[in-house]
Amino acid sequence: MPKKWLFLFLFVIITLSLMTYQSNRQHWFPLKFLNNTFNMFHDLKHSFIDSIKSPFQKMLIREEENRRLQAELAKLLQEQQQYREVLLENKRLKDILSLKEKEHRYVASAHVIARSTDRWSNTFIIDKGLPHGIEKDMAVVSNQGLAGKISGVSGSYSYLLFVTDMSFSAAARLQESRVEGVIAGTGFRKCRLKYIPYEEEVKKGDIVITSGLDLLFPPGIPVGYVSKVDKSNIGIFQDIEVLPFVDNTQLEVVVIIKKG
Amino acid sequence: MKFLLWAIIVFFTFVAQASISLFDITPNLTVVLAFYAGIREGEIKGLFFGSLIGTVEDSLSEAFLGPHLLSKGLAGYLSSLVYSRFFIWTPLLGVISMIIFTFADGIIVFMLRSIFDGMPASVGAALYVIFIQSLMNAPFGLFLRPGDK
Repeated sequence: MPKKWLFLFLFVIITLSLMTYQSNRQHWFPLKFLNNTFNMFHDLKHSFIDSIKSPFQKMLIREEENRRLQAELAKLLQEQQQYREVLLENKRLKDILSLKEKEHRYVASAHVIARSTDRWSNTFIIDKGLPHGIEKDMAVVSNQGLAGKISGVSGSYSYLLFVTDMSFSAAARLQESRVEGVIAGTGFRKCRLKYIPYEEEVKKGDIVITSGLDLLFPPGIPVGYVSKVDKSNIGIFQDIEVLPFVDNTQLEVVVIIKKG
Repeated sequence: MKFLLWAIIVFFTFVAQASISLFDITPNLTVVLAFYAGIREGEIKGLFFGSLIGTVEDSLSEAFLGPHLLSKGLAGYLSSLVYSRFFIWTPLLGVISMIIFTFADGIIVFMLRSIFDGMPASVGAALYVIFIQSLMNAPFGLFLRPGDK
């Protein structure tokens, strides 16, 4: 046992002496050559780990890039949609403006803000009312043609009775033949041109306009075109189906004009 | 064969030590080897083995030969004494002794380098590093047990 302690003592003395010796002179590294071996191994290890990690890292980078591009694309599409919307609105407003300039009976232009809650009536709510000079039975037109008439006014809002509503009717005539009749709603997508005598020649595609004889609608407003003519019924009048120019599914901005 | 196995273990210990870091602190795995050599092979072999590891570590550290040589040699020698003279190994004692030996090794290296070369770090930083290294090595104490006599 003392021999071991002596050994330890000698070891401590030798190492301390070695350090003291080195502190005054150049440092000594007996196994410095091992550095190269370790460095080479580290290099190999790094290359090996890198070759494994690299594909995953690339995948992660691509995944991240993909996510970023998708977000960017969504944003761009949204912006494009907004621009398109602005362009369309611009076109609509231009149309309305030209209508306003042409129409000396102009009262107000309004936005359709809602449909009637009653699914059986073709009524819309517009954002202009009494303060804007709107009154009951005023004609409502869009850039495409006759939209209907004001069926009621409530404060700052009004109700637009669309041309296809069952309770809508207006004096009309065929643009070419000038034959007069009454255009009335059917409750669905189409209107009916009534009271056209059997002997009158009516063709598909003939344009129907307001005649102004009812003193409600100014004359000459396009209403729609003839989509079907039926002469098979026994009677003195033809059964003429008219498709309105104004599509109620795309109605956004309308112009209210004074009574004819 | 035994020496070859030890050489491979030492080699990979150095590789691991240079590759791993926790909280930006590299572990002190070589003291674990010196400690294990001591408790398995006895004082003299532990001293010899620890010195060898220390020499390699000093050479690789490019500071100067001595601090690791002495600290690892002492670890190899004294670890053998702990279980042969004073205590019977238990997992808890293994953990405690591993913490103490790692801490002592770090302190010795820090002191020797401060005395013979120059202070490698502030005392606070050095204590923090040594403390974390001791905690990192603590789990080894659970598994490294002395051989049956």
